[in-house]
Formats: sequence, C-alpha cells, structure tokens
Amino acid sequence: MTASESLALIAETMNNSRRAILSHNAKHFVLWGALLTVLSLLIYFLWHGTGSANWNLLWFAMPVIGYCLAALIDRKKEVQPKNEISRLLGLSWAVFGLFSVTLSAIAVFAVPMNITLIIVIMLGLAETISGVILKNWPIAISGIIMGIGGAVAAVLLKSEAQLLLFTLGGLLLVITGIIVKLQYR
Amino acid sequence: MFPKLDPILHSELRLAVMSILAGVEDADFTYIKKQTGATSGNLSVQIDKLSAAGYITVEKGFKGKMPRTTCRMTPAGREAFSTYVTALQEYLSAGK
Repeated sequence: MTASESLALIAETMNNSRRAILSHNAKHFVLWGALLTVLSLLIYFLWHGTGSANWNLLWFAMPVIGYCLAALIDRKKEVQPKNEISRLLGLSWAVFGLFSVTLSAIAVFAVPMNITLIIVIMLGLAETISGVILKNWPIAISGIIMGIGGAVAAVLLKSEAQLLLFTLGGLLLVITGIIVKLQYR
Repeated sequence: MFPKLDPILHSELRLAVMSILAGVEDADFTYIKKQTGATSGNLSVQIDKLSAAGYITVEKGFKGKMPRTTCRMTPAGREAFSTYVTALQEYLSAGK
C-alpha cells in the first residue's frame, strides 16, 4: 500500500464504522418516538372517553415497554459498538428519562405540578442537545421550537389536550430517527 | 530521513481493524468482520498478531448463549496508530 492508499483506507473504514453506529442509533429514536406517540394518543382517548385522569398512570409503563423493545432491537448476533457520539446521545436521553420518570412520580404521588410543562421543556432540551451532538441543525432547531413552543402550549392547554404535545414530541423523535438514518446510511 | 512505517500496521486488514477500534470503545468480532469484509479465519489471524504486538486486547465471553469476542485498542495501540498516521502524512507532504 502507498501512503495515500493507507490514509484513504483509514478514512474510509472510520467513516463507514461511524455511519453504521449512528444508523443503528436512528432505530432507537424511531422506537421511543413511536412509543411516545402511541401511548399519548391512547391515554388521550381513554381520558377523553372516560373523563378519568387516572389513565395517566399508564405513562409509568413506557420505560418498561421501551427498554424491552430496545433490548429486542439490540438482540442480534452482532453487537453494535459505541463511539463518542452514540455514547453522548445515549447519556443525554438516559438523563431525560431519569428526570421524567422521577418528576412524574413526585407529581403523581407527592407534590402536584404541571408535569407536562416540565417534561416538554426537557424533551425540547434533549432533542436540541441531540441536534448539536449530531451537528444537525434542523434537529436542533426543532428541539428549540418543541421546548419553547411546547412550554407555552403546556400552560395554555388544559387537561387531556396537553397530551397532544407528547404526540407531537413523539412524531418529532420519529422524524429525527428518519433524518439520522438518511444522513448516515 | 523518513520514519519507518510500523510493519504490524502496514497491512490492509490490520490497518482496517485498528481504524475501526480507534473510533469506538470496543468492538465485537462479528462487527469488525462485517465492516472489513474479511473471512473469519483471516481476521482471527490478524487480530492475534495485533494482540501479540500489544496493540489490542481480546476478551472472550458470552452474550446469552452465544460466544462473543470483544476487541479493544490499548494505549500502546493508540500511540502506534497515531505515530503511523503521522508518518504517512509526512510521506505524503514530502512527496508534494
């Protein structure tokens, strides 16, 4: 191999590996986005139909269902490695999940608060951070719109109508996953 | 005087393996095989050579019931890879 061939091989191999890892990450965005969309619509219609806000307890099933489905996606012969970008993305969303579940539990069982407002802001933050990590400005900007616009809407909207903000957030995650998949395929 | 290229790294498959491992924490044998397009036999031989040189560590374990071989670049491997890339760049810039 000549020097230029060696350097070209290094660059191509590193680039292909990076694409493979991030393309795999896209599946997780789609999974969590689809789950958020379906669950928010389900709770919306159940709440709307019965008039009971207790259906919101179904949110606590989301991490369980999500992690089971994520484990199914990852249950392949080939284990996907982690690079710096996928590690940062995973950490950002894990922190979002930790805060969301903990604050939701506090809001339901101890100190009532406008949890939609808080989670929508955190969702927008996590989405914006993802866009910055991926250097994908449409994702970052949609995260800013989701966080700020969602916060205003969470104050203006009442009861079950607030759930539709999560439907929008879920769709945003699905779109993010599709963008990442297309960007790194 | 040009620096001598590391003969361990100056092989297409070994260089590809090191390039993959340079960008990740660790990588599964099957992942490296898929990314490089190498055969299992050839890849095993080259991984053994990199391991013997102290450039990577190889850990054998299980994922469920499936055997799993995980490779990780060592600090010595990272240093050798960096030196190799610098040497290549020097060759190229001298040729311009």
